[in-house]
Amino acid sequence: MSPEKLAGPPQEFLAPLGGGRREVTSGGAYLHTVEGIARVVGVDGATAWLEPEQTTSCGSCASAASCGSVAGGIGTVTDRIAARRFALDNVGGLQVGERVVVGVAERALIRAALTAYGLPLATALTAAGIVESAFGSDLATMAAMAGGLLSGLLLARIIARRLSAQGELAPHFLRRARPGETCGGKDTT
Amino acid sequence: MKDFALMMIGAALVNNVILARFLGLCSFMGVTTRIDTAAGMGLATTFVITVSSMADWAVQHYLLDAFGLGYLRTVTFILVIASAVQFTELTIKKVSPALFQMLGIYLPLITTNCAVLGVALLLVEGHMSFLNATLFGFASSLGYSLVMVIFAGLRERLALADVPRLFAGPPLGFIVASLLAMAFMGFSGISTG
Repeated sequence: MSPEKLAGPPQEFLAPLGGGRREVTSGGAYLHTVEGIARVVGVDGATAWLEPEQTTSCGSCASAASCGSVAGGIGTVTDRIAARRFALDNVGGLQVGERVVVGVAERALIRAALTAYGLPLATALTAAGIVESAFGSDLATMAAMAGGLLSGLLLARIIARRLSAQGELAPHFLRRARPGETCGGKDTT
Repeated sequence: MKDFALMMIGAALVNNVILARFLGLCSFMGVTTRIDTAAGMGLATTFVITVSSMADWAVQHYLLDAFGLGYLRTVTFILVIASAVQFTELTIKKVSPALFQMLGIYLPLITTNCAVLGVALLLVEGHMSFLNATLFGFASSLGYSLVMVIFAGLRERLALADVPRLFAGPPLGFIVASLLAMAFMGFSGISTG
């Protein structure tokens, strides 16, 4: 390995890229972390329950207080955020209402997306291709594609369970958010 | 097999959804600040476009054409796409709650992505077989994902560049997008070459 490689990249390349962060592991490899801000909504012993903050402009406009999509109920923004509530080990002594920065490995995000979307599509298209070449009928191809999609989803479920058991899909606590800090890593104050 | 391959290259590169047909531009500018989010959005959109292409083809052939309801195509397809997004969201939630927590943020955004409706309308106008239509949708969405990831990579680099204040952010993004569109015009030579 060349000396330049061992020394690592120049300092400016370690700066946050659009809110993401690069950590240097003990082995010298770069671990890319995708960061997000979440609010603590409950503490249950050693477990803290968090909800991700709304990251789009929706909900921050002047009409947010009277907007039906924000106010609450099934299918609203509030409902969607509540559905994405997650648990975290309360190692930092978090209190209800605190804003914290949580992160997942960038590789985990890509792997999760490939498992959830790529695998079912691959099985569906493979099954459809085989049946199309064997029978040449649209109805048979449709049935094969539906079957392939379902079997791909079942396979994805097994792989997701394995990834989840290894702890790859769980977000981890990075630090408390600064006042006014947003997901892009910028301070609004 | 050669026909399938040519059709897929044409849909993904020559007639790219974003850079040649100018569909899905809001997500192209909005979700491409980081490669990971662009890849996540691209994969989610690929899944939804492919599933909705299958459903749209079936609805067009067995419902709209069969009963002479072609004038309801756009409204019906919007309903089919919204249903496909809901199906995807519920399925991912059922398959793995952990995956849903990680990826669920992109799915509601896809309902309003005009690229999904655009591809559905294009495949119906092409009078394709079921497998052709599905592969056309799949290839179009792969082209969409490819451009999203390339553009996100460029924007990550541009974020580190020292540019005049007036050009920082979206203005420079638009200039880079136009250069990328011109680069993709090079692929149009494939059809005549």
